[in-house]
Amino acid sequence: MKKILILFAFAVISFSAFSQSTLFSFQYSMGFGAGNMHDFIKPASFRGFTIDYRNLVTENIGLGFDMGWNVFYDEMPDANYEYQNVTYSGKQWRYSNEFPILGAMDYYFTKSGDIFPYAGLGVGTMYSLRNTDVGTYRFESDAWHFALRPEIGVVLDMGGGSGFNIVGKYYHGFAAGDLPSQGYFTINVGFVFVN
Amino acid sequence: MKKSIFSVLFIVSAFMLNSCYPGGPDYVEDMDVVLTKHNAEYNFASKGTYAIPDKIVKITGNLVEGETPEFVPDVTGKQILARIESNMTAYGWQKVDISANPDLLLAPASWETTTIVYWYDYWYYWWGGYYPMWGWGGYYPPVYYDSYTTGTLLMTLIDKNEVGANGNPVTQWTGAINGIMTGSYNATRMNTSIDKAFAASPYLKTN
Repeated sequence: MKKILILFAFAVISFSAFSQSTLFSFQYSMGFGAGNMHDFIKPASFRGFTIDYRNLVTENIGLGFDMGWNVFYDEMPDANYEYQNVTYSGKQWRYSNEFPILGAMDYYFTKSGDIFPYAGLGVGTMYSLRNTDVGTYRFESDAWHFALRPEIGVVLDMGGGSGFNIVGKYYHGFAAGDLPSQGYFTINVGFVFVN
Repeated sequence: MKKSIFSVLFIVSAFMLNSCYPGGPDYVEDMDVVLTKHNAEYNFASKGTYAIPDKIVKITGNLVEGETPEFVPDVTGKQILARIESNMTAYGWQKVDISANPDLLLAPASWETTTIVYWYDYWYYWWGGYYPMWGWGGYYPPVYYDSYTTGTLLMTLIDKNEVGANGNPVTQWTGAINGIMTGSYNATRMNTSIDKAFAASPYLKTN
């Protein structure tokens, strides 16, 4: 797995060095938990951001990186939570912070008017920090996951080297550390700057 | 120009996201927790009588052998005991004197823990030149501290005939209540928590 990551990083850096134009995007990110993450926290997250950077190594292919943060939160009601012969009664405050850091490759389809559709894949790591607050106590678990991230999106060219984009991403972190596999979808909207 | 736009975006986003970080409890009673644990193989329904002392012992951690322990003041201790007893009565238990050979002993105990959180900036002279943003708005040397005290009430049901390997009786049921203490005793919070402990333990019913 480490070899794959190193090769991917090497490819990204090598191609980037010969690039002709760059694309930088800063996005507001809304997250929707899936699988185990959804079991832990059901509400969607409206707190997050993503930074995308791509070097266009050909007209259609961009290589670069993604990084970001999404925090999921839920306040569990005052209820009984049972585990074997132990019952806990009270409220819980649950937090799940996700920090993906990925190498990324996008394919930009042919421009249609002012719209560039694209699709891509990210490979890298995702740090998950999960907290459960109970009374004055905090139970914490974390993990550095190996992560994959497919995405599809569009860039709306506003001219003058700037634009907007809308992109849907799915992050999947494989089981690691204290946590089972963690997955979530995001819908991002942001500004794009082209150099 | 673009660098300026990026900087503004970063700074605005950082402040926005920081201020939007999801919050936790709003009220001190939100942090009250109740924990119960029982021996699943013990048949509580086959019992019927219990004894309970008329005081709640206060665990201080510095009791010298031979000394009498401290107790929760009667003004609050009696209210707590009355609430425990009313819950036991509702579940069909009959309170008897300890000399009347009760089936179970109910032993209440309490303790307090104080936690201090603090932030001090006596090292400002060392890092001040490098990290001037730290300690904004404070006077030199800024010191911030706060503390909170949590109180715990422990209720245990003991069968004197069930003895563990170490020769001591085994606890068959434990109800623990923990919360942040405020300046004065709040009977509503305490009663609610005691009721919750029993509500979470329907296996204690004998009726």
